[in-house]
Amino acid sequence: MTAYLKEWLESWENTVPKQKAAFLHGPPGVGKTVTVEALARDLGMELIEKNASDYRTEEKVRRFAGLASQYGSFSGKRRVILFDEMDGIYGTVDRGAIPALTQIIKETRCPIVLIANNFWNKKFAAFRDKKKYFVVEFKKPPGGEVLKHLGRIAAREGINAEEEALKFIAQRNEGDVRSAVNDLQALAQGKNRLTYDDVSWLAYRDRKDVIFTVLRQVLYGRSCNAAKQAIDMADIDLDMLFEWIYENAPHHFNVPSELAEAMKALATADLYRARIRQTGNWKLMRYVIDFMTAGVAMARDKSKPSGWIPFQFPQRIRMLSTSRAERAKKAEIGKKIKRRMHISVAVALKDVLPYLRVIFESNSDMAAGLAGGFDFNEDEINYIAGSKKQGKAILESFA
Amino acid sequence: MSFEMWAEKYRPKSLTQMVDQKDIVERLASFVKSRNVPHCIFAGPPGTGKTTAALCLARDLYGEAYREHLMELNASDERGINVVRETVKTFARVRTLGEIPFKILILDEADNMTGDAQQALRRTMERYTETCRFILIANYSGKIIEPIQSRCAPFRFSYLPRQEQDLYLKHIAETEKITLPNDGLDAIYDICSGDLRKAINSLQAAASLGKPIDSEIVYSVVGRANPADVRAMIKIAMNGSFLEARKKLREMIMKYGVSGNDIVRQIHIELFRLDIPENYKVKLADIVGEVDFHLVEGADEEVQLSALLAKLTEAGYDLKVG
Repeated sequence: MTAYLKEWLESWENTVPKQKAAFLHGPPGVGKTVTVEALARDLGMELIEKNASDYRTEEKVRRFAGLASQYGSFSGKRRVILFDEMDGIYGTVDRGAIPALTQIIKETRCPIVLIANNFWNKKFAAFRDKKKYFVVEFKKPPGGEVLKHLGRIAAREGINAEEEALKFIAQRNEGDVRSAVNDLQALAQGKNRLTYDDVSWLAYRDRKDVIFTVLRQVLYGRSCNAAKQAIDMADIDLDMLFEWIYENAPHHFNVPSELAEAMKALATADLYRARIRQTGNWKLMRYVIDFMTAGVAMARDKSKPSGWIPFQFPQRIRMLSTSRAERAKKAEIGKKIKRRMHISVAVALKDVLPYLRVIFESNSDMAAGLAGGFDFNEDEINYIAGSKKQGKAILESFA
Repeated sequence: MSFEMWAEKYRPKSLTQMVDQKDIVERLASFVKSRNVPHCIFAGPPGTGKTTAALCLARDLYGEAYREHLMELNASDERGINVVRETVKTFARVRTLGEIPFKILILDEADNMTGDAQQALRRTMERYTETCRFILIANYSGKIIEPIQSRCAPFRFSYLPRQEQDLYLKHIAETEKITLPNDGLDAIYDICSGDLRKAINSLQAAASLGKPIDSEIVYSVVGRANPADVRAMIKIAMNGSFLEARKKLREMIMKYGVSGNDIVRQIHIELFRLDIPENYKVKLADIVGEVDFHLVEGADEEVQLSALLAKLTEAGYDLKVG
């Protein structure tokens, strides 16, 4: 498409073509503006550029573009006029800007290039006439191209960059070359090495998958700091993050000694949590963080499980939240047992309920007797018996 | 038809019926004789007769109407300071009618009381000694503050010896007309090791199946926490399936409400039965002990036990690779 655009610009050399303006559209960061700038330089043309912050009203457009399009430059160079960021023109605020522009395009004597992201916005309807406008669509480059591009830049800047790091940047930016290059610059400036750990925190900017990124960094971080920084990214409660790590860590350690080491680190973190609860000493939190992040990360020697392992929502939390109603029911049962047996609710649930369950499941006569003694209602009988069917059998034994 | 849990039905009604904890029972009987009871602390593991002894003492002291002179509170259900300020005080200060000038307040699981509540209790005990005697029941007397301990006569309960547990169970089996062979008794002792409440509950649950209570029945009914299952979990872990073992652990804790302490204890028992080199047993016992201690410190049961399972997985792998 660069070649076509070049051809079109060159066609202005001797004549005024039918298509007096080019309309370049495509997603951000794919090289629309850069292309125009590069071609102008290659063809020795003077580029007069205006973007959304410069032109707003009909009058300004007319004054600027009108003059520029009618007269040659003082240097004798041919001109190209660029209206960038057309998406920024707003119907009511910038009233009249677009009609003014179409008028100028009709009368222009030098090429005018318009750039926008969303060609299909209805304010650009006037520019869809392909006889009058040279419309060029810019598409996202494939990921491999972006990666190569980053590689070239890194090489030229003398940065020894891990391919994993560049890949991460490329993927993260989803074809937006400009922001990929910006990321590369931000991360690598002043360094001669760029590792995966250096870049992975970038994902902080994308809220969407933040927890997965945090997990990846904790589970695969290569330094204590890299793993610990994960905490800063996480916008979730520390206990919840602990659950995520605790749930997922074993899936990502396939060497038994490393697994044991990782689980021990989590147990240690948990122990410090308990000590905080017991003593109210929140200073200890730093050790919770150390062990749940760095402790886990450092458990890894060099192993890496093969294949893609999806992250899972903490099952314990799921089990807890689905059983809230169940817990209420259990508490009620516990109170009824307590009343008859001189024990606390907790002991009733721990030491008596499991046996009641066995009895209720297997002996409806004995269960009926006990249910009467404890004054259990139908709902509770069903719950202890484990099924409505068995509950019914117990209720019938009452009679 | 039984309308009661056997643990309740066969709870001794008088100190004379208590066959275990002889020294303690003797001293308590002497209180009854002299019609005077000091403040007491009954400390010891679960299922060893602490609550029973307190109830028997009250009944022997007051006779059948003992309920009028007695209040039972469970500190793990009502552990706050307000209970002491209101319920306990109200009960303690009102003089009782009758021959014996004081009432008895049984405070069960007193080691679960908050520090504030214990401080408040200390004053209450002192002020109302004339009208009320306290029996504090706890698993660990160490969790009760020093000033209270020094005001109380201490009684230390211990696990029932094998013969005494068997005696109780045989008596129940006879009365309930169930067959209880020796290997059933073995299994119950293996699981409950002197915790009589647990033993009787196990017996009743096993009896509900309506078959002779042999070891197979016992092991199969004692929830998911019986040694076979903990053993299965250990085996799974040692065979390299840590995730599977953790799943089993999670089920035990969350679905069946088995306490982490019970699991630790059984792992400890199983450990020494495993077919692994002796030095491994010692190394692993060290880790089990560590987990046990972490649980005492209030750490998360599943997380701590998972670390142990991971260690078992590692040991299993080492042994296989050699």
